[in-house]
Amino acid sequence: MFKSNFIYELKQLLRSNWLLLLSICLIFIFGFATYNGTEKVEEREAIIAFAKAETQENETVLIKTLDSLEQGLEVSLPSYRLPTDPIIVGKDFPQVAAMPAGDFAFLATGQSDLFSHYKKPVTYGGRMIEDFTEMTSPVQLLFGSFDLGFVIVFLLPLLIIALSYNVLSAEKESGTLRLLAAQPIGIRNWVLQKLLIRFFLLSVHVLVSLTVVLLVFGTNPFGNLGGLLSLYGLVIGYMLFWFALAFLVNLWVGSSAKNALAMLGLWIGFVLLVPSILNQMGTALYPMPSRTLMINDLRAMKADVVQRQDEILDGFLRDHPEYAINDTTQTRNFWHSYITSLNLLREEAKPIIDNYDRQLKNQQDWVNTYKWLSPSVTLQEALNKLAGNASSDYENYRKQVLLFSEEWRDHFSPFLYNNTAFAKADVANLPTFEYKKSEYRSLAPLVLLLIATGLFGFGFLVSSTSKSNIITI
Amino acid sequence: MISKTFFKETKELLREGRVRISIVIVLLLLGIAVWISAKQYENTNDRYAAAKTTERAVWDGQGAENPHSAAHFGTYAFKPKYPLSLVDQGVDKYAGTSIFLEAHNRNDAQFSAAADQTGLARFGDLTPDFILLFIIPLLIILLGYNSLTKEREMGTLALLKSQGISFWKMILGKWTALFMPILIITVVLFLIAGMVLSSLEDYGVFSWSALLVMCLIYIVYYAVFTNLVLIISALTQKSGVSLVISLSVWIIACLATPKMATNIANKQHPYPTAQEFAVDIAKDKEKGLDGHNHWSEESKKLEQDVLAEYGVDSLSQLPFNFDGYRMQKGEEHAAEVYFKHYKLLKDQYEKQTNVYQSLAVLSPYLPTRFMSMAVAHTDYGAHWDFSDSAENYRVAAQKFLNDHFAENSSYGDWEWQADADFWQELPPFEYEPRTLQSTLQTHQGNLGIMGGWLLLSFGGLFLTSKRF
Repeated sequence: MFKSNFIYELKQLLRSNWLLLLSICLIFIFGFATYNGTEKVEEREAIIAFAKAETQENETVLIKTLDSLEQGLEVSLPSYRLPTDPIIVGKDFPQVAAMPAGDFAFLATGQSDLFSHYKKPVTYGGRMIEDFTEMTSPVQLLFGSFDLGFVIVFLLPLLIIALSYNVLSAEKESGTLRLLAAQPIGIRNWVLQKLLIRFFLLSVHVLVSLTVVLLVFGTNPFGNLGGLLSLYGLVIGYMLFWFALAFLVNLWVGSSAKNALAMLGLWIGFVLLVPSILNQMGTALYPMPSRTLMINDLRAMKADVVQRQDEILDGFLRDHPEYAINDTTQTRNFWHSYITSLNLLREEAKPIIDNYDRQLKNQQDWVNTYKWLSPSVTLQEALNKLAGNASSDYENYRKQVLLFSEEWRDHFSPFLYNNTAFAKADVANLPTFEYKKSEYRSLAPLVLLLIATGLFGFGFLVSSTSKSNIITI
Repeated sequence: MISKTFFKETKELLREGRVRISIVIVLLLLGIAVWISAKQYENTNDRYAAAKTTERAVWDGQGAENPHSAAHFGTYAFKPKYPLSLVDQGVDKYAGTSIFLEAHNRNDAQFSAAADQTGLARFGDLTPDFILLFIIPLLIILLGYNSLTKEREMGTLALLKSQGISFWKMILGKWTALFMPILIITVVLFLIAGMVLSSLEDYGVFSWSALLVMCLIYIVYYAVFTNLVLIISALTQKSGVSLVISLSVWIIACLATPKMATNIANKQHPYPTAQEFAVDIAKDKEKGLDGHNHWSEESKKLEQDVLAEYGVDSLSQLPFNFDGYRMQKGEEHAAEVYFKHYKLLKDQYEKQTNVYQSLAVLSPYLPTRFMSMAVAHTDYGAHWDFSDSAENYRVAAQKFLNDHFAENSSYGDWEWQADADFWQELPPFEYEPRTLQSTLQTHQGNLGIMGGWLLLSFGGLFLTSKRF
C-alpha cells in the first residue's frame, strides 16, 4: 500500500502545474533572500576592511610623526595634539575592534542591522555609555529584511499549509474516501503516509534548492559542514512540525475551507502572536529602567565629579603610590585630573549600566525558557545564532569591546602618571582586538523534531480512542 | 437588489461561527493591544516629564562656570510622545529618544527601545497598528473569500442568472455586507481611542481632526482590501483557491513587499555607517576654523580680519573677548559642516522614501503605513523634524553662551565665570510637531497612491462583475 501511495502522490505532485509554479517560486525566493543576505555580509566585510586599512595608515603616520619628533624635526600639528602625549595617541590613533561576519551570517539578519560592527575605543571623548547602535533608517528596521530566515520561518509554513490542508477533506469532498475504506489500511495510517510522503518530497525539494542557491551565490556551504547540517536539521524539524499540525487538523477538522482556516489561525498564532506576546511579557516582567532618567543620574554624577577633579586626582595618587615613586618630575597637568576623574565616573556609572545588561539578560533568559512555545521563535533564534547575528552575539561583542576599551585606557595610564612620553618603540606594543565568537551549540533541531513527533503521537493516540467515524461524517 | 443582498449576506455572516469567533478574537486582541499601549504611553510620558524637569534643574544649578565649559557640559533634548502614537507606534521603537546638545558636535538621538530588547522584538509588537494593518485585512479575507465562489459552488449562480439580476448590484450588496462590519469595528475603535485620549491629561496636543484623518486612511485601506478579496472571489472557481490567492496577496502586500523594499532601498541608496559619517564630518571640520585652536591658519586669518575691521592692532583692544568671538565663529563653521552632511543623509532618506513609494504599486500596505505613522507623528519624518529642531536649538544655545562670554570677559581670561543664575536665562528647548496640514501636504504622494488603489480596485471590481 505504501508503495502505490508513494507513486500516486509523486505522480500527482509532478503533474500539478500549480506545484511546478510554486517550486520555481521557491527557488526564486530562496535566491533573492540569499542574495540580500550575501550583499549585507559583503557590505559589512568591506566596512570593516576599510576601517582596518585606515587604522593601518594612521599607524604609519603615527610612526612617522614620532620619528620626526624624536629627531627634533618640526611637525605640522598644534602642540596640544602631539602624539608624544599618551592620551593623544589613545584618542587620535585608536585600534579597530571589529566583529567580522560568521560563515552563515547571510542566513538571518538578526540584530545585525541594528548594531555597529566595529568600534574604536579611545582614551577620552567617547560617549559615557558607548552607543553600539548603527545609523540605520528606522523604517528599514521596522520592516525588516527579506532574508532566508524570513523565508523559512514565515513563508515555508504557508507552502506546507497549501500542500497539506485538504489531504483528507478533498477525498471526502470528491467522494473517493468511501473507495479508500475498502483498502487494507487504517485512515490514520493513510493520512500519515500521505503527509509523510509529501513531507519527504518537499524536504528534498527545499534542501536541494537551498544547497543549489547557496552554491550559486558564492558561499561555499560545505566549508562549515557542521553549520550546514544544523541548518538542514532546523529546516527539516520545522517542516515536520507543520506537517504534524496538518495531520492533527486533517484528523479533527472537517471541510477543506475549515482546515485551511484552522491552519492559518495556527500560523498567525505561532508566527505572529506568540513571539510578540512573549516579547511584551518579557519586557513587562523585566522592564528596562528608563534611559531618560538614567541620563539624569549620570549627568548629576558627572557634574559632581567635574567639581571634585583635583580632589579625585589626589585620592587616586594616594592609592597608587607606585606612580609617585616612578615619576621624578611630579608634574601634574590637565590630563591627570581629567583622566582620573573620567575613570572614577566610569566606575561610579558601572552599576547603573550593569543594570541594563542584567535586565536584557533576564529578558533573554525569559525568551529562552519559553521559546519552545512557538517553534517559529525557536527556529528564528536558532537561525540568528547560527548566523552569529543573535542578540547574545552582540551582547558578547559588546562585552569584549568594553573589556578592550578598559585595556586600551589602562595601557596609557603608566605613561600618563609616570609622565613618560610616548615613543616610536611603544607603537608595536599597542593592544589589539580579536573578536572571539561564542560557540554555536543548539538543541533546536532536536527540540523541533521532538515537538513534531510528539504531535504525531498525540494525534495517533487521541484519534484511536475517539469513537467517531471519520468516513461517514 | 443591493439592500436585499446586503441583508441576506449580513444575516449569513452573523449566523456563521467562524465570523463570530474571528471578530471576537480580533476585538480581544485589540483590547489587549490598546491596554498595553496605553500603559506604555502613560509610563513614557511620566518619565519624559520627569527627565525634562530634572535635566533643566541640572543645567540651571551648575553654579558659577565659564560659559564654554557649560557648553561642553551640555544639555539634553528629549523627544516627546504624542497621543496618536497610542494608535500607531510607527518607528518610535527604532529611533532614539534623547539628543545630547553640546558645543562643537551635533549628536544623533540615542537609546532606541529596540536596542534594549531581545531579538524577539523584531517579530513585531502586539500594538493597535499591528491589528489595524495586518489582522483586520486578514479578517476581511476570512469574511469574504467565499462571498462569490459559494454562489458557484452551491449552484445558486445559475438560479440568480435565470432571474436576470444585475451582477453589479449584487456585488455592491455583497461589498456593503462585507465592508459594513469592518467599518463599524474601525469607527468604534477610533471613537474609543478618541475618548481615551481626550480624557488623558495632556489633552491639548490631541486633535480630533488628526484622528479622523487616520480613521479615513484605514477605511480606504480596508475598502481596497475588500475590493481585492471580492475580485479574487469572483475570478476563482473554488473557495479554497480563492482563500489561498487572497492570502498570497496579503502576504505579498503586508509582509514581503515592505521587506523587499528595504533591501532595494538600502542597496540603491545606502546610508553611511555611523563611523564613516563621523570621519567625513571630522575631515570637513578640520578644513575650517576650530574655536579651540588659535594656532591654525584660519584662526590667524580671522584675527587679521577682525583687527582690520575694528582698526585696532591687538586683540586685547577689541571691545569684546576675542576668545568668545572665535569660539562662536568655530561653532558656526561646525554647524555648517553638520548641516551639509545631514543634508546628504536626508537626501538618501528622501531617495529611499521614493523607493518605498514606487513599490507601493505592489502593496496598498505601504502608503497606508506611511500615512498612518505620519499623522501619528511617529514616522521617520517626524524624527527628522525633531532632530533638526534640536540642532537649531543647539546652535542658538551655543551663540547665546559664546556671546555672553565674548561680551562680558576680557581677552585671554579663560578663568572668567558667568554668574550662577545666568543659566536660567537660556530659553528652554520647546518642540512643536508639524501641523496636520503640513503633514498631509508632504505626503501628497502617498495620498495619491492610496486614491489610485481605491479607484483602480473599484474599477477592477466593476469590470469583473461585467464578466461574472
